[in-house]
Amino acid sequence: MKRRIIGLLGLALSASLIASACGSDSSSSPDTAATNDTLAIPGTDSSTPTAGGTIHILSQLEQVTHLDPQRNYTGSDLAFVGSTMQRALTSYAYAPGSAGSQLVGDLATDTGTPTEGGKVWSFTLRGGATYEDGSEVTCADIAYGTSRVFATDIIVDGPTYAISYLDIPQDAEGNSNYPGPYTATADQQALFDKAVSCSEDGKTITFTLSRIVADFNYTVTLLAFSPVPKAKDTGEKYDMAPVSSGPYKIESYEPGKSLVLVRNENWSKASDPIRNAYADSFVYEFALDPAVIDERLMADAGDDQYAVGDGGLQPENLQTVFTDDRFKDRRQDDYDPYVSFTAFNVKTVSCVEVRRAVYLGLDREALRTAGGGPYTGDFADGFVKPALADDYAPSKLPEGLNTDGTPNIEAAKAALAEAKTKCPDVYAKATVEGLKFFHPDTPIWQKLVSIWIESLKAVGIVIKPTAVEPSKYYPTVQNDETDYDISRGAWGPDWPNASTMIPELFLTTGGFNLTRNGDDPAYKQFETDTKAALNELDRKAQGKKWQALNQFLVDQLWSIPGTFTKAQDLWGSKVGNAYRWSSSGSFLFGELYVKQ
Amino acid sequence: MTTFIARRLLFALVLLAAVSLFTYLLFALLPTDPAALTCGKNCKPELIAANRVRLGYDKPIYEQYFQFVRGIFAGRTYGTGDIAFTCPAPSLGYSFNQHECVSTLIAKTFPVTAFLSLGAFILWMLLGVGTGTLAALHRGKWQDRLTSVITSIGVSLPTFYVGLLVLFSVVIWLQWLPFPHYASPTENLHDFLTAMILPWITLAVLSAASYTRITRNGVLEAMNEDFVRFGVAKGLKNRTVIRKYVLRAALIPIVTIAGLDFAALLGGAIVTESVFSLPGMGRLAIRSVTDSDLPVLVGTTLVAAVFIVMANTIVDIIYGILDPRVRLK
Repeated sequence: MKRRIIGLLGLALSASLIASACGSDSSSSPDTAATNDTLAIPGTDSSTPTAGGTIHILSQLEQVTHLDPQRNYTGSDLAFVGSTMQRALTSYAYAPGSAGSQLVGDLATDTGTPTEGGKVWSFTLRGGATYEDGSEVTCADIAYGTSRVFATDIIVDGPTYAISYLDIPQDAEGNSNYPGPYTATADQQALFDKAVSCSEDGKTITFTLSRIVADFNYTVTLLAFSPVPKAKDTGEKYDMAPVSSGPYKIESYEPGKSLVLVRNENWSKASDPIRNAYADSFVYEFALDPAVIDERLMADAGDDQYAVGDGGLQPENLQTVFTDDRFKDRRQDDYDPYVSFTAFNVKTVSCVEVRRAVYLGLDREALRTAGGGPYTGDFADGFVKPALADDYAPSKLPEGLNTDGTPNIEAAKAALAEAKTKCPDVYAKATVEGLKFFHPDTPIWQKLVSIWIESLKAVGIVIKPTAVEPSKYYPTVQNDETDYDISRGAWGPDWPNASTMIPELFLTTGGFNLTRNGDDPAYKQFETDTKAALNELDRKAQGKKWQALNQFLVDQLWSIPGTFTKAQDLWGSKVGNAYRWSSSGSFLFGELYVKQ
Repeated sequence: MTTFIARRLLFALVLLAAVSLFTYLLFALLPTDPAALTCGKNCKPELIAANRVRLGYDKPIYEQYFQFVRGIFAGRTYGTGDIAFTCPAPSLGYSFNQHECVSTLIAKTFPVTAFLSLGAFILWMLLGVGTGTLAALHRGKWQDRLTSVITSIGVSLPTFYVGLLVLFSVVIWLQWLPFPHYASPTENLHDFLTAMILPWITLAVLSAASYTRITRNGVLEAMNEDFVRFGVAKGLKNRTVIRKYVLRAALIPIVTIAGLDFAALLGGAIVTESVFSLPGMGRLAIRSVTDSDLPVLVGTTLVAAVFIVMANTIVDIIYGILDPRVRLK
């Protein structure tokens, strides 16, 4: 498991994660021409997609973070690489709005078949898929690609669900006994081959998991489960020249300058019902100053009419873009996938009344204003965003909490008075000794922490800030030895299911649990209920369970919900299909087309 | 003279060795853990420890330094088995962020910086010396005052501001030029020139301001020298006196400063390269800082230091040739 958000807020992965539907329906090719239902979605219009032309992607980054499918992880990169060059077993429908969260087969004919209650998953391969050299994509290639994830010293940065989920023995320290394909002995390789096997006819791949994973068919949408031909694998260097199985291939790639994709003549639409591949080519322009990107998109001249940015708009241009009608057909301001929060160390702040007093007394509106105002997001009412439609239900927030984000001093004082009786030790800590607030040592956080101190001073709570060098912030607060009372973070789901939000943030085995809540009296029940939700194969029933757990978390306040964050985009006037793909929170780059 | 040159060259070598050691020590003292950076965000302590051993960061710092120096002369191999790869000599390390040997990255980016520096240097020397001389020859007149105002503005404007202003106005708003996409002059001369013209102008305008002032003062000072007055008294034409007596004297310190400025620019024009998206060494250096890509940071710092030391050595030697007293010190 991995945090996809840490340190990335503001870099602009954008959009909302909307409904997700699980099942075993055959995949279908969505009609990407806008319908009446989708016309209201920014980036969609009544024009008919046409083939041809070049789409430009303007980026402030020096390169695509990873082209190697097993190392590819962030939403924008997944959308770019997945829609152009790398196919996976399953994907989400290539469609705007909530339809874009519908799970469909990609290399697989359908969305997979679970057996043993979700402990074994099989996928039947569609057949006919080929690499850019014309050779066939095989079941063995998918197994080999998956095995690369275990070479954790070389295949870095990617999602490690394969290691967590596959039924491969681990040593006493929890490390897999399979070290990946580069250094595995025959016996070690046999461990992997037992967990990931191909049928004799090579048409079915089966994953045997160490536990039930009800939404494993969502997991394999990640390119970490994409095929890699063993003979072409160059390890660390594969990132620069991966073999394409999608409709485009690399013509040239110079980090710091550009990546040019052209049509892969060996890709066949007949074998790929998802991708439409309208544009003839893509030019990814790197290392552009963000101010220059915005100016180019606003000027909308020459090739920039066919351009999109991959990093969102700069704050200083938001007012112009969202008040000037010139941009009304080519802008969007919407949720990105992330939720920010403030986590309590429940071991030291074990009193829910103190935690509630902090929530009620904190000037959240001042914090949001200092961070950039309403464009940064809406006040969150929990840890599941409305975009996860199956899993979201409005939460009942603590009584007295002002919905406009302003502090309610009286209510906070009342909660603190309750704490004085119920938990005098924690009360004394909060009001006399002070709560140790660890924050990143950045200019913006210097401002924000002063708002924390001042607003809670009015309640009678003392905040003692500790600034941590930004690159060391998360390693510091994730270290069990670190003596903090309050920390902060943000998180986005890896796929449209709260299964990659709630367990990650609040189970003691979660990838980003900053709350140290394992000893809290309410934890056992939470753990039991969470595991029940994780094992639930009925997606609707599972969603109900997440809704209840989200409310439970709001009641416990192991963390305070922050904001449902937002991002803003602008694109060239001759770009079609510039909608945010709900499953990645970014443009669905491969589906962009040039308007005639 | 030979002894003097040999001494200066030896000193330069010692200085470079000291710079490399100092840079490497700084690298070792930085709070960032280079081993942690090689295994991404899913790192476990055991994996970090394994990578530390694999890359030699577990060894004492002096041993790491010698390994680094050995790599410069003998190259280095990373990984094992089929997926092993080698950075040939002169190896300055390997960038796990950019999947490339540091020396290769520098070899790719240096020509961009060299072309940028050379073009800007020629422009600013012509502009700076020309306007400086003009201002001095018209001391107190409107030409002098106008030059003074312009140079004051030029000296005080930051590079990023001028760069963005030039880029926005010429390329985006007026659309007189296409957006610059750098290509090497041998690949595509048109793209090369359209990518370079604005950065050259930006750098030249800003640097020329200082050189105008230095030239003006140098020319005015030289005009009061006895040998100039002697030339005038001999009845030589004004133009001849200025060209052969005044400018020659005034340019000696300017050439010295220009040499050092040019060498510094070769180390990377960070801001200009960033604003104009030029894939040069300055941007490579700044990227290494933002990505905490320590091998690249050390490599670019060392190469920049080499240019400075080389320029200093050449200036020292030229001074020794021009002024024998320097050799005796």
